Amino acid sequence: MTRSAPVAPHMTAMHRRLLLSSPLLAAGLLAPPRAAEAAIDPARATAFIEAAGNELVAAINDPNLDLPARRERVAAILRRTVDIEGTGRFILGRYARQATPAELAEYNRLFDDIIVRNLSARFGEYRGVRFSLGRSQQRTEEDVLVNTIIERPNQPAFSLDWRVSEINGQPKVVDVIAEGTSLRLTTRSEYAAVIQRGGGRVAALLEAMRNQVAQLAAREGRG
Amino acid sequence: MFRSRCALLRAMALALAVTAAACATPPPADDPEALAEWRETNDPFEPANRAMFEIHEVADRFVLQPVAEAYRDLLPQPVRNGIRNALGNLRAPVILANDLLQGNVSRARITLGRFMVNSTLGLGGILDVSREWGVPGHSEDFGQTLAVWGFGEGFYMFVPLLGPSSLRDLLGQAGDAAINPLTWLGQGAAVDAAGWVRLGLTVVDTREALLEPIDQVRATSLDPYATLRSAYRQRRAFEIENRESFGGRVAPAGTTGFGQGVTQPEAPPRRPGP
Repeated sequence: MTRSAPVAPHMTAMHRRLLLSSPLLAAGLLAPPRAAEAAIDPARATAFIEAAGNELVAAINDPNLDLPARRERVAAILRRTVDIEGTGRFILGRYARQATPAELAEYNRLFDDIIVRNLSARFGEYRGVRFSLGRSQQRTEEDVLVNTIIERPNQPAFSLDWRVSEINGQPKVVDVIAEGTSLRLTTRSEYAAVIQRGGGRVAALLEAMRNQVAQLAAREGRG
Repeated sequence: MFRSRCALLRAMALALAVTAAACATPPPADDPEALAEWRETNDPFEPANRAMFEIHEVADRFVLQPVAEAYRDLLPQPVRNGIRNALGNLRAPVILANDLLQGNVSRARITLGRFMVNSTLGLGGILDVSREWGVPGHSEDFGQTLAVWGFGEGFYMFVPLLGPSSLRDLLGQAGDAAINPLTWLGQGAAVDAAGWVRLGLTVVDTREALLEPIDQVRATSLDPYATLRSAYRQRRAFEIENRESFGGRVAPAGTTGFGQGVTQPEAPPRRPGP
């Protein structure tokens, strides 16, 4: 927690309201620093999102692909563009240190499976989707939020923000934010609750994740 | 004198506060990370809240969700949009008051202008003419005003039928009811009936807008209670800072309850199958 240490006294002095009303900020300060991260140029982040988005849209709208093939293509693009391992580590947070190496390895495997299945199932349904870039803004020293507008036929457009970070020299997506709700913060909260309710054991989370993978697989089989 | 449906909400809040005597145990003081997480979660009455959530889920599956689905199936989208616009327009006085209480004169001007245009040219608020003219609406409520004034959220609460809330946001709803001219409008059976119709439509309209997000949470979350708690809090922080995106519609309910963006969706006509 090298980054949060010098910040801590300032935090306590800060108005309680600020901390409570901005869990985003609070969680950001609690996040362990990642050595591989470096500042990323907003133009580069935007170009990266544009390229990845075009690729995704092309896969989703490809008339020659059926649903399973579409999901497969989307999953492959996601694995290339999303920092799944880093995001998984962020979400597990402090429980990563409690986990045994075997548990951690299983967590990484399950998390990768779940996030790819969930996202590709969701995007796979977005037939006829179009996306355009909105405003782009530098958010922190480490990453950039790239705003996009998602349009689907006969449906209201909505806005998605992609948090892009540089991981080992490559731009990667580390979070998706819809109308102020961050996927990684919500998931972090969810996983922490599962662990706490399971008596503070990471094993409880792994069991729930295994069940979910089985359910997702069954649903994909039906769908 | 509040009218009976407001009193009902208030009574529910009180009942919750009383039953919330069942507390969660805070972590030991020698575990700073666990303590930080505990503070961030800010849900000291979690066992009681989870019980309320279970009650709500049953009521939702058997009543709210089927009613919202029927509402979507029976009424064509233009009609539902008109209803949403009209409900938003009826909330304009409350939004205006909160814009002003937050000292945000430019947003207050927008709310006032929209109210005048939409109430007249928009046929009593059914058509959002102002939005077509490039002046989209926004929502505001007294819970947000309290936050702007520096009130913390107090603690998290889950109120059956109302959804996720907090001490501050629940007080905010009482404040909104007190601000709302419709609360103080006349007496008699017709006024009462109109009030109940408005409340009913607000509930159905809100739930209809949330059909997909709630389906999504139920399908993908390992702990829907915790997911909603986190999403609600993030969403509220976003609303308090007025960071809503372009072209929004005015949310039908003040506090939407579910931490999801009811400002924008005029929801899709049909849900994709699972």
